[in-house]
Amino acid sequence: MLEVIDLNVKYGDFQAVKNVSFSIQAGEIFGLLGPNGAGKTSSLSAVEGLLVPESGSIRVAGFDVKTQARHARANMGVQLQATSFQPELNIAEIIRLYAGIYGVILTREKLDSILENINLREAGAKKFGQLSGGQQQRVSLVIALIHEPKLVLLDEPTTGLDPQARRQLWERIEALRNQGHGILLTTHSMEEAESVCDRVAIIDHGQVISTDTPQTLIDSHRNDPAVIRASRKGKITLEDVFIGLTGSRLRV
Amino acid sequence: MQNIPPTSAIFTSLLRADLITQWRNRKSFMLILIVPVVILFSWKSVIDERGGAFVLGTCITLGLITIGLMGYSNSVARDRDKGIFQRLRVAPLPAWSIMTSRLVVQMLMILLLTSTVFIAGFYFDHISLSAGGYLLGYVTALVGGAVYLGIGQMIVGLIKNAETVHSTSRLVYFVFIMVGMFGELGILGTPIGNLVKWSPYGTVKHILASSFQSGSWDLSATRALLVTLGYAIIFSVLGIRWFKWTPSEKG
Repeated sequence: MLEVIDLNVKYGDFQAVKNVSFSIQAGEIFGLLGPNGAGKTSSLSAVEGLLVPESGSIRVAGFDVKTQARHARANMGVQLQATSFQPELNIAEIIRLYAGIYGVILTREKLDSILENINLREAGAKKFGQLSGGQQQRVSLVIALIHEPKLVLLDEPTTGLDPQARRQLWERIEALRNQGHGILLTTHSMEEAESVCDRVAIIDHGQVISTDTPQTLIDSHRNDPAVIRASRKGKITLEDVFIGLTGSRLRV
Repeated sequence: MQNIPPTSAIFTSLLRADLITQWRNRKSFMLILIVPVVILFSWKSVIDERGGAFVLGTCITLGLITIGLMGYSNSVARDRDKGIFQRLRVAPLPAWSIMTSRLVVQMLMILLLTSTVFIAGFYFDHISLSAGGYLLGYVTALVGGAVYLGIGQMIVGLIKNAETVHSTSRLVYFVFIMVGMFGELGILGTPIGNLVKWSPYGTVKHILASSFQSGSWDLSATRALLVTLGYAIIFSVLGIRWFKWTPSEKG
């Protein structure tokens, strides 16, 4: 579904991503975890084709992101960290716009059913800015999935959501996994990674430090002194492993 | 495997959305149409003195400046700032289609503006042109509009911050209108008058006024047309070269 090999991203003299490699299979939720500035968004932007990497290979559903960009993008659905749409358009018009861009024929009935599925039947005539954070996330996710892509990229999708909206989104992400979509998720929430992700990669200073299932990561670092020091309640969590591996110093 | 959607379907969707956006952006819409008509009304005395073609040319030029500097540049800067372009760019569409759709909407606005000025001129000031004059008027309005869209593109290419684009385009708009109008009327002296004559304001207004009367197209109008085309090409090329899709994008 997604194969990233030896990815390197540079901004001038600053190397944001160093030899990052990972792959995602169909029906898998893969989490990319890291502190601020670790290289998560740069890696994701390279996969999305928003920046040109210095070197490395990225293939989406077998298509090279650099040389077969439009084919690769047609096979991925993207929810950006801060999604915004033209403020003059209403929700129905935004969904119609993206359906057209992805070549999806949208009948009135299908549009109604999409809005119904995300509990926004009455909000079709509203503007995106008039929706709550959770409703906006649901619209963004619907648009990311409108063409039923094989790969779904979610950049910090639950940031700013209340617990109910966050749980609801987790359920939607898990349902996507069960339908066979491959999902790449970036998040700051270790609780989210532990609850939702099948595998996670911890990235720091542009490099992947460790990749495995959340439970295996916890088990394999249980006796690491830095992880034990990070533990607050005696029980080792993914957050303790994360802090143990990336340090407790604040990042900007 | 998902196939790439046909470019025609993508373009139709973009164009529909951009047309709705333009239509709902009433403030900009009205500014583009009302300012030239107000000038047309207030310049009744100038019609007797300088002729209907001169006044129509001036009014359309003012509208073209508004489209390029107040409409196009500000909407592009806002959408870049809000990440609207980024969302579009992760979709399987060619990047050129995003801007082309917007330019098509602006060209339609130019045709609407030109029609509005022609109709207002005919009904309120009894300015009538030959069929060829009207037709050439539309063509030269599009050529002139390209200059101001190019200037707008250059501003959003040079300046990344939406607020700064907004204030800069207002300033340039004010300078063009004030210096252009008063300069060509001779109020600011001969040197400024000559400068205005070969400025984007002067050449666009010259080709517009000349195109309205088929007999008045002379060598100086041809020169003005060539300079106008030169401005349009230079501003557009520089604007496209400098343009970045995000405010923070590295060169």
